[in-house]
Amino acid sequence: MSSQALADIKVQVESNEYESGNLDSILSEIAFHLEQLLEQKKTHSIDLRAMPWSPGDEDKLEAYLGQGEIQIELNALGKSLFYETQYSGIWIVTHYNQEDEIIGKLIEITYMPEMVFSQKDDVKDSIERLKQY
Amino acid sequence: MMNKKTLFESLQQQGVTRRGFMKYCTALTSLMALPPSMIPIVANALESAKRPSVIWLSFQECTGCAESLLRSHSPTVEGLIFDHISLDYQHTLQAAAGDAAEHAREQAMKEHYGKYLVVVDGSIPLADPGYSTIAGISNLDMLNETVAGAAAVIAVGTCSAYGGLPMADPNPTGAVSVSSLVKDKPVINVPGCPPIPTVITGVLAHYLTFGSIPELDDLGRPKVFYGQSIHDRCYRRPFYDKGLFAETFDDEGAKKGWCLYRLGCKGPMTYNACATLKWNQQTSWPVESGHGCLGCSEPNFWDAGSFYKALSIPDGDYAKAAGYAVATGVALGAAAGFANQKTKSSAVSQHTKVTVDDFDMNKDKK
Ligand code: SF4
Ligand code: SF4
Repeated sequence: MSSQALADIKVQVESNEYESGNLDSILSEIAFHLEQLLEQKKTHSIDLRAMPWSPGDEDKLEAYLGQGEIQIELNALGKSLFYETQYSGIWIVTHYNQEDEIIGKLIEITYMPEMVFSQKDDVKDSIERLKQY
Repeated sequence: MMNKKTLFESLQQQGVTRRGFMKYCTALTSLMALPPSMIPIVANALESAKRPSVIWLSFQECTGCAESLLRSHSPTVEGLIFDHISLDYQHTLQAAAGDAAEHAREQAMKEHYGKYLVVVDGSIPLADPGYSTIAGISNLDMLNETVAGAAAVIAVGTCSAYGGLPMADPNPTGAVSVSSLVKDKPVINVPGCPPIPTVITGVLAHYLTFGSIPELDDLGRPKVFYGQSIHDRCYRRPFYDKGLFAETFDDEGAKKGWCLYRLGCKGPMTYNACATLKWNQQTSWPVESGHGCLGCSEPNFWDAGSFYKALSIPDGDYAKAAGYAVATGVALGAAAGFANQKTKSSAVSQHTKVTVDDFDMNKDKK
C-alpha cells in the first residue's frame, strides 16, 4: 500500500483578485532587522509557525527568498536544516523530529545561526571522552 | 517535583547534546507561543526544572480532549513533555484500575502535597452525584479531595472550563464547571471542543518551564493562546472588511475563499488560536477548510443557536451576552439546587433546535 503525504495533494485556492499583503509586511520586517544586524550586530528570529498565513503565503515567501550558497544539516533529536537564502544574512531554519515532522520553523537574521557553532557543554563533554581513551 | 533529576539532566542522560537541548527549547518556545527571543530564557529555566507530578481527573466528558492530545502525534515535543512530567493518575490510560488506581492517586497526593498539578476534563454533575462516579466516589468529592493539595488546576476542554455540552440546556445532570467549584486555587481554563493539542501541552510546558501560571484573561484563559479572536487573525478577514461573503457552501464566493460570516461563522466572538496554530500538525483549520468557526472555546456555545445562523448581534453586545452567561454559570455552582432549576426552565424556553431549514441559506430572503 502506498501512502500519500498530505503535502502531495495539490490544493488550489481559486482566488486571484486577492493578495493577503502578508508578504509585504514580513519582507519589510526582515529588511529592518537586516539593517539592525549590520549596524548594531543585533540578530533576530521570526517564528514562522506563529503567522496568520493565508494558504500559500509561506511557500510564496520561501520562493521569493530562494536558496543561497550554503546549507547545513544537523542531526540532534531528528534532523534540522539551516540554509542561507539568496539574501545574505537571512537564514531559514527548519527543525524536524525523529518522525520527520516539522516541530519548528524560523527565519533567522544573523551571520550564522547560533546552533551551528560547537557548543561549550558539548566541547567539555568531548574533552572528557577523549581523556577516557 | 519529587523527581530529583532536572529535565536537562535527564535529556543529557539520554545522550542529547547541547544542540539537541537548544533545539528542544526552540520548539518548546514556539509551542508556548512565546517569541524566539525567549529561547535563552526558556533554556535557562529548563536547566533547573524538575518533573512535576500531574493527576488527571476525567469527569462528565467524551474523552475527546484526551484524544486530541494523545492521538495528535507521538514522539514530538509534546511527547517529550510527557516524558518529563510524571503523570501519576489518568484512569483512561493507566494500567491499574479500581482500588489500585485510586491508591496511585492518593500516593501521588501524599508525596507531592501542595505541589502537584491537577488536570480536569469534563464537567461535574451536581443534580445527582450518581450521574458520574469513579470507584464509587462522586465527581464532586474526588475534585474537592484532590484539589485540596494541588498547586493549581488546569481545566482542559470547554466542559470542565465552562460546563460545555453536559451543561447545555436543559442541563439534565446539573453540570457545572471546575472554576465554579474551586475557589481557593488558581484555575487555568483551556477551553475548546476539543482544545488544540499544542495549546494543552503549551500550558503544561509553561508550568513545567517557569513553575508559574501564564497570564489569564477574564474568563481564566491563557492570553498567549486566547488573547485574540479567530476573526482578528483570520486570513479571510480582508473579504469581511470588503463585504465579500459566501452565501452557500458551493457558490462562487465560497470557491473564491470569501468570508464565511453569513454561513454562521462565530469567529468574531470566539477567542482561540486556530487561525495561527491550526490543526493536525498545522495542516489547516476549520475556516481554511471552508467551514465557519463554531465558537467552541466560548461559554455556552452549544446554546448559542444554530451553527449556520449568522451572528446577528454586533461584537460588543455579544461579548456582554457571553459575560452574562459566565456569571450564570458561577451562580449555578454556588447555589446549585434552586438556581439550577430556574436556569433550566429559562433555558428550555430559549432552546432552539437546528432544523433542515437552518441549512437553507436563502431562507431569510424568501
Ligand atoms: S470567516 Fe469568520 S473569522 Fe474569518 S473573517 Fe469571516 S467571520 Fe471573521
Ligand atoms: S475554528 Fe472555532 S469552532 Fe473550530 S476549533 Fe477553532 S475555535 Fe473551535
